[in-house]
Amino acid sequence: VDVSLLGIFRWLGSSWLGTAIRHSQWAFAGIEMFHLLGLALLGGSLVTIGGRMLGLVMPAQPMSAVARGTLSVAILALAILVLSGVLLLADDPLRYYANVAFRTKMLLLGTALVTSLGALRLLSATGPPSPRPPPIAVRSAAVLALLSWLAVGIAGRMIGVL
Amino acid sequence: VTVLAQLCASLYDSRIGTGIRESDNLYSIIETVHVLAITLVVGTISLVDLRLLGLVLKQAPVSEVLGSLVRVTWAGFALMLATGLLLFWAQATQLSRNPMFQLKLLLLALAGLNALFFHRCMRRTVWDGTTRAPRAAQISALISLAVWSAVVALGRAIAYF
Repeated sequence: VDVSLLGIFRWLGSSWLGTAIRHSQWAFAGIEMFHLLGLALLGGSLVTIGGRMLGLVMPAQPMSAVARGTLSVAILALAILVLSGVLLLADDPLRYYANVAFRTKMLLLGTALVTSLGALRLLSATGPPSPRPPPIAVRSAAVLALLSWLAVGIAGRMIGVL
Repeated sequence: VTVLAQLCASLYDSRIGTGIRESDNLYSIIETVHVLAITLVVGTISLVDLRLLGLVLKQAPVSEVLGSLVRVTWAGFALMLATGLLLFWAQATQLSRNPMFQLKLLLLALAGLNALFFHRCMRRTVWDGTTRAPRAAQISALISLAVWSAVVALGRAIAYF
């Protein structure tokens, strides 16, 4: 069994899933639509959480309440994105393996996850009372996380261009 | 109809239309901004809809969720409209004949009417609290989620027709 990244990609492509998506006329387009809907949900929830950290969105609401309500949507959106993303990948794994934009996107995705978790940690470290305006550290972390996600989106669009 | 077709043809043949279409990167860049703007619009609208259905942010008054997010929605909408017009400028002839594009415009109008209906019905009620939203507002939220999802799906479908 080949457990290298290339081996896993080859296996995904030759699996029944990859074969089925490749042979269907509309599967890829349909999965793409779910991927875009997940993107919209993620974008909206990230802007809401990030905006709250910056003190721009719902400043009168406690940070914890905004985060709790919105994070569940963000996690749902991320689940939709990862699931549909793997299905899109299965269509032609070797194409994505060789695609610079895809590789960059995966690296940026890791960066975005790390910066987001960092921002959330920083937030819980600053304690439950939500001071207005939020501390500069929280605001910078929020900007960094939002910019990382923006970069993931741009790299994602580049996959189709390169 | 012929007037519209002629208008689309002259947009298509105009310098700006041709410039966007024939540029190596411009079209993709505008498209990327268009998709990101849609993310802002549909994402924030969905959150408001989910709030109305009582699924998220239950402790926050609807007026506050709406008042905060609607600014992001409008900013995204302005960007979406501007980039959408530029994309149309470059592809006016094909797009105007594309059934998915026509359907998308129709659903956008429907989304607008639904939002108008919602704001009218919210103005007449005193409800803003943590209890269940009025039935009309909930139905409007469900219609909004369905219509905006369809708009996103049709936007993607345009490329396949």
